[in-house]
Amino acid sequence: MASSTFCPVLLPLRRINCNLNKICTLVSLNRTAAYSTGLPINNGAERQDRGRSGQRRQKKIMETRTEKMAVDQDWTAVYPTAASFKPGSVPLPVRMGYPVNRGVPPAKKGNLELIKIPNFLHLTPLAIRKHCEALKPFCTEWPAALDSDAKCEEHFPIQMQNKDYVFAGPSLRNPDARIVRLTVKLSSLNLDEHARKKMIKLSGERYNKDTDTLTITTDSCPLKQQNYDYAMYLLTVLYHESWKTEAWEKEKTRADMEEYVWEDSPSQKNVLETLLRMHPLGEKQQQQEEEEVREELLGRKEVQEYKDSITKLKNEGETESNMQKYKEAVKKLLSI
Amino acid sequence: MATSMRTASIRLLSKTIRNFSSKAAAERFVCKRSLQPALTRTICVAPAAFLHTGHVSRTQTPSITVTDEPDTLFQKLTVLVKGHDRAVLDSYEFFATMAARELGLTLGKVFEPPKNIERLTLLKSVHIFKKHRVQYEMRTHFRCIEISRITGSTARVYLEYIQRNLPEGVAMVVTKTAVVKVPEHIQMPMWGEQSQEEKTSP
Repeated sequence: MASSTFCPVLLPLRRINCNLNKICTLVSLNRTAAYSTGLPINNGAERQDRGRSGQRRQKKIMETRTEKMAVDQDWTAVYPTAASFKPGSVPLPVRMGYPVNRGVPPAKKGNLELIKIPNFLHLTPLAIRKHCEALKPFCTEWPAALDSDAKCEEHFPIQMQNKDYVFAGPSLRNPDARIVRLTVKLSSLNLDEHARKKMIKLSGERYNKDTDTLTITTDSCPLKQQNYDYAMYLLTVLYHESWKTEAWEKEKTRADMEEYVWEDSPSQKNVLETLLRMHPLGEKQQQQEEEEVREELLGRKEVQEYKDSITKLKNEGETESNMQKYKEAVKKLLSI
Repeated sequence: MATSMRTASIRLLSKTIRNFSSKAAAERFVCKRSLQPALTRTICVAPAAFLHTGHVSRTQTPSITVTDEPDTLFQKLTVLVKGHDRAVLDSYEFFATMAARELGLTLGKVFEPPKNIERLTLLKSVHIFKKHRVQYEMRTHFRCIEISRITGSTARVYLEYIQRNLPEGVAMVVTKTAVVKVPEHIQMPMWGEQSQEEKTSP
């Protein structure tokens, strides 16, 4: 039976023909076939030749491309783009697969595993270099003055972060791609004390005290550009609103204060009372007004130290150094 | 400080790749035909003009337009690739890092976050046989490439190149952190005069 079948599609027909004629003739099929496979049509002359001598058949064994390849060929011409693995085009003795019956992994010819796995034969180092050479004219250089993150922050304080997704699926769109995150350090904005405190209060959870950063995450609009504009709008509104002083802000109580303030605090009153009791007023001082006495007492160095230590304790929390300072200040104040 | 943006027609980029692929396709198709020389008498023989010699002859020189529009600046560009096969991600990492080095980009960290395994336990049979189950697992491997301080045009070029050569079965997440100047309307408060007055009055 002729083994050089080029069209496997016609195989079932061949079997039928065999059953009918009881002669296995391949060529008659090829002649009468209505398929245009582009494959060679055997002529009658060749069929007779094959019948006579089997030696001629061996000469027609196809040479694979690998045998005709030169060692110094241009590989980028063989695999210019991503293509499946072709055993006849890759001159490597690659083996892949499970070694059945404790044998060896199967060879590359007819190996489905090698075809299934994505290959990088089109991305050899030489090919990458060629591609990058072609791409270089489209690139721009990074400004040399901004070589560290600190300098970037100094000149460009606002950071906008967004994510892009590349994947295959029923739809190529990922709704998370519309999310935009704006990060800015409040120290880089033009704010005074009141504006800064108000801004922190307005931002609420979005402000991080440790790093002094305000983070605005927007995802309410369907498009990325819209979310970007919305984030900038929010920042603008926050900024301008924080500079405004409303009428009701005058009613700010001690409970609303962000940090501890020593003036007009119970601690201050206690200190004054204690000092007055310790050193009862002399005649001259009694004639002076109360306010002046107070001012004088508060102006003392020990009192200032005590004030500093108390403020630190309340604002920063209880640490070793803070407690030590408090102890020293109290000792000096009470002249122990 | 404003760098001008190169509106690279990515169409040109795709054109060169299309040229590559079309030529390769033609060559492959032609080669297939030319494999059976002696037997083909009726089908046309591959003409020498179609045989690929390895040179890319450009029909036209690509025009690069440089505009004065300031280019976006990215402080960090993070490319995270996800796949089921670790070997594929290894090769892809080699490709992406080499491409970055050839284009002159500053590579930050290149690391491998720990893999994620999702396991399912399902019934083996269609009906009854509750005691006999079958277990499946899906492993997702990751690879992260960080690039710092890259301009918008370069980022677009690099990302397009990387994404066009993304293998099948691999997904990518690109996190871009752009740095922007403080816009003009945030530099000074709108009611600047009012606040000044309040400051002077006790």
